[in-house]
Amino acid sequence: MNNNIDLKGLWNKQEADIPDTKELFEKINAYKKRSFGKIIFTNTLLILTSAFIIFIWYYYQPEMISSKLGIVLIILAMAIFVFVLNQTLPLLTKVDFDLDIRESLKQLFRYREKQIFLQTTMLNIYFILLSAGICLYMFEYALKMTFLLAAISYFTTLMWIAFNWFYLRPRQIKKQRAKTDELILKLEMLNRQISEND
Amino acid sequence: MIFEDIYKAYWLKIFRLCMGYMNDRDSAKDLAQETFITVWQKLPDFRNESSIGTWVFRIASNHCLRQIEKQNRMPKTQLPAEIEDVIHHGNEDKMEFLYKCISELPESERIIISLELEDLKQAEIADITGISESNVRVKIHRIKEKLTKKFNNYEQ
Repeated sequence: MNNNIDLKGLWNKQEADIPDTKELFEKINAYKKRSFGKIIFTNTLLILTSAFIIFIWYYYQPEMISSKLGIVLIILAMAIFVFVLNQTLPLLTKVDFDLDIRESLKQLFRYREKQIFLQTTMLNIYFILLSAGICLYMFEYALKMTFLLAAISYFTTLMWIAFNWFYLRPRQIKKQRAKTDELILKLEMLNRQISEND
Repeated sequence: MIFEDIYKAYWLKIFRLCMGYMNDRDSAKDLAQETFITVWQKLPDFRNESSIGTWVFRIASNHCLRQIEKQNRMPKTQLPAEIEDVIHHGNEDKMEFLYKCISELPESERIIISLELEDLKQAEIADITGISESNVRVKIHRIKEKLTKKFNNYEQ
C-alpha cells in the first residue's frame, strides 16, 4: 500500500491555454441578447392580445356590463399569466453565485418551491378567470339567440372549459412537477452531502 | 482589481476545478467561461469581505453544482464502487486517472478535494462550501484515503 502518492503534483499537471477574453465577451453579449429577447417576446404577446380584445370592445360596442366584465377578466387572466412568467423566468437564472455552496443550495431550493407554487396557482387562476370571462362575455350574445342555440353554445363552451380544467390542466401541472421534482430530489441529495456530520 | 488580471490569474485554476468536476475538457471550458461571466457581472459588487480568490472559487463551485440542473442522467455516484475498480485502465496516464477518479466522487467531495489540491487553506474551503473547518479536515482526509486506495488498485 503506497500512501505517498503526489496528488497535488498530478493535479497541477493539467494544463490548458487561456482563451482570449474576446471570446468571453462575445458570450456575455449573446447571453444578454437572449434573455432580453425572451422578456420582449412574452410582453409583446400580451400587448397584442390585449389590443385585439380592446379592439373587439371598441368595434362591437357591447352594451351589457357582463360583456365588459368578461373582457376585463380575460385580459386580467392573460396579464397575470405574463406577469407570473416574467417573475419566474429570472428565478431560473437569478442565483447568488457568490454565496457559499450551502447557502446557495438553500436559495435554489426556495426558488424551486416558489416556482412550483407560482406555476400551479397561476395556472388555476388563469383557467378560472378565463372561463368566467368567456361565460360572462357570451351572455349578451346568448340573449339574442333562440333558447336552443344559446343552450348549445353554452354547453359546448362549458364542455371545452371542463376538458381544459379536468384534462389539460392536471396534465400540464404534472409535466411541470415531474421536471422540478427530479431536480428537488437531486438538490436534497446535495444538501445531505454538504450537511453530513456538520 | 481589473477583470483581465483576475482572468489571467485564475483561469487555469478554475479550469482545473471544473475538470475535476466534469472530467471533460469542453464542458470544463464552458463551465470556466460561465464562471468568468459571473465574475465579470458581479465584480462591481465585490466588497472585499473575502479574498478575491475565495470569491472566484465560490462562484465556480456554484456553477459546478448548478450542472445538476442540466444533466438528466443518473448521478455517477450511484454506480456500485466495485465496478469502478475492475475496469482495466491500460496505459492511461496517471494524471488523467486522478481527474477521472475525482469526477466519480459525490458532487460536494469533487469540489472539496479540487480546492484542496489547488492549495487553498482549509479555512478558505470552509468559507467556500459553508462547512465547518473541522469537518472540511475530516472530509479531505477521507477523500484522500479513497483516492489513494483507487491509485493502489490501479497500479497493481
